[in-house]
Amino acid sequence: MSSLDRIAAIAGNTLREAIRNRVLYALLFFALALIGTGVLLSTLSYVERERILQDVGFAAIRVFSVAIAVFVGIGLVHKEVDRRTIFTILSKPIARSEFLLGKYLGLLATLWLQIAVMGAGFAAVSLAAGAPLGAVHAAALAGIAAEVAVIVAIALLFSAFTSPMLASLFTAGIWLIGHLTRDLRGLGAQSQVEAVKRATEWLYRALPDLDAFDLTLQAAHRLPIATSDLLLPLAYALGWIAIALVAAAWIFERRDFR
Amino acid sequence: MSSAVVSVDGLTKEFRSGFGLRSKRVLRGVSFQVAEGEIFGFVGPNGAGKTTTLKILMGLIRASGGRARVLGHDVRETDYRRQVGFLPEAPYFYDYLTGREFLRFYARVCGVARPDRAARVETLLDWVGLGHAGGARLRNYSKGMLQRVGIAQALVHDPRVVFLDEPMSGLDPIGRKEIRDLIRRLQAEGKTVFMNTHILSDVEMLCDRVAIIVQGEIRFEGSAHALLADDERDAEVVLTGVGPALAERLAERFGDAVRGLGERVEVAIGQKRVGELLSEALAAGAQVVSVAPRRASLESIFLSAVAEQARR
Repeated sequence: MSSLDRIAAIAGNTLREAIRNRVLYALLFFALALIGTGVLLSTLSYVERERILQDVGFAAIRVFSVAIAVFVGIGLVHKEVDRRTIFTILSKPIARSEFLLGKYLGLLATLWLQIAVMGAGFAAVSLAAGAPLGAVHAAALAGIAAEVAVIVAIALLFSAFTSPMLASLFTAGIWLIGHLTRDLRGLGAQSQVEAVKRATEWLYRALPDLDAFDLTLQAAHRLPIATSDLLLPLAYALGWIAIALVAAAWIFERRDFR
Repeated sequence: MSSAVVSVDGLTKEFRSGFGLRSKRVLRGVSFQVAEGEIFGFVGPNGAGKTTTLKILMGLIRASGGRARVLGHDVRETDYRRQVGFLPEAPYFYDYLTGREFLRFYARVCGVARPDRAARVETLLDWVGLGHAGGARLRNYSKGMLQRVGIAQALVHDPRVVFLDEPMSGLDPIGRKEIRDLIRRLQAEGKTVFMNTHILSDVEMLCDRVAIIVQGEIRFEGSAHALLADDERDAEVVLTGVGPALAERLAERFGDAVRGLGERVEVAIGQKRVGELLSEALAAGAQVVSVAPRRASLESIFLSAVAEQARR
């Protein structure tokens, strides 16, 4: 019995729980409905209808995916503790880090499955409206998938040591700041005050730059994307995921389950 | 105890709260041992430290001090848990799973080989009497069925030692008997059973050895039968025709042991003093209705241990 098999068992069970959860289906339905409303919104404009349609579609996919990542991610461990299911799991021959990684991968699989379904809806609406579709759109979806992977890892980190309410606030905060750090650094660079320059640079390095995963602008304008434009953000995401998961495992390992 | 399956030595636990400024000492140097093949009852009132001790043994809580070993392994290790099963108190399981899916999941986590999993799960479902309910979701199980499927998950990897936290809690008399029978079958199969409980009648019926914990300290550890035999055995003498003068004399000599109203009196005394009482009563013209031995119950011993701890 390998460590991978134990992790796969936990991940599989997490995925199964999500698949049998009707709330997630409701959220998925609303996301698909919102993607569909892009058709209506695009009719309000005489120009760039396809762009509006696809902007709305990508925004719906991102917001719903991140919202599910935050609110399901922070409850991932808490629910197991609250319902005491963690007692039977951790009394088995499984390391706490394996359990945590299994939960992470299970939720990630759920979210990626949802992104795939929403992506299919997006493609169907785009084709029906005669909007162009290409590899750049798939790359933009991969960018959202990478962003969600980082957010779930951060949610898991916060949920390892704090209450669900605080964890959701912290994670949502990181997501918001993560979309601002690049602009803040740009503003700081123009400042005449050296301390402001350093502070914004430090902030940029200390927090994830979630705009690094945003390829929707290129997709909407059908700009070409180089392989490095996709691989570098993916490597960056892997780095942040590793940091968050190692920290979460370190904290989780020391926790008492009363 | 040379063949100790569970060995706990000077275990202490303090829970800290309020950023570490407040602390509560839950265990104060707990020591006991459990031998292979026995049913061991860990008894104590609510809040005595039973579940904390058990969670330390299961690696769910880290001890502040002392040592706890199971099958010779430090309880913080992971691999040895292949030989250990655990049923927590009032367990909640993944209720979106069927009984069969639930046991297959735990079998996989425990490392039961894929070709053996299905057969092992079916055997266990039959063993705990849930062969007919394996396809039903756990949310539709009764409390007794959940307790039985919980025992099945503790046994899914065929462990040598089984830890049960309040296994009979909240069950009706039939459910309790079913669980008692399962525990006896575990022992018959050579497994060691460690049982946390506060239901003393179950301990008397099941356990070979007992430890009584009160306010984080062990007040007694030993054979359940010896515990009951060592206590002074009482007798209850019932008399009628007791006049006021005799009643007064009995009250003087036997004190609080005398209860009664009018001519009927009951006296609970040590067996050695029964002759003395009867001589006095018969000489005064009273009649003896009955003389019956009163067996000391674990409950009375347990309550006196709790009372003694409260006085300290």
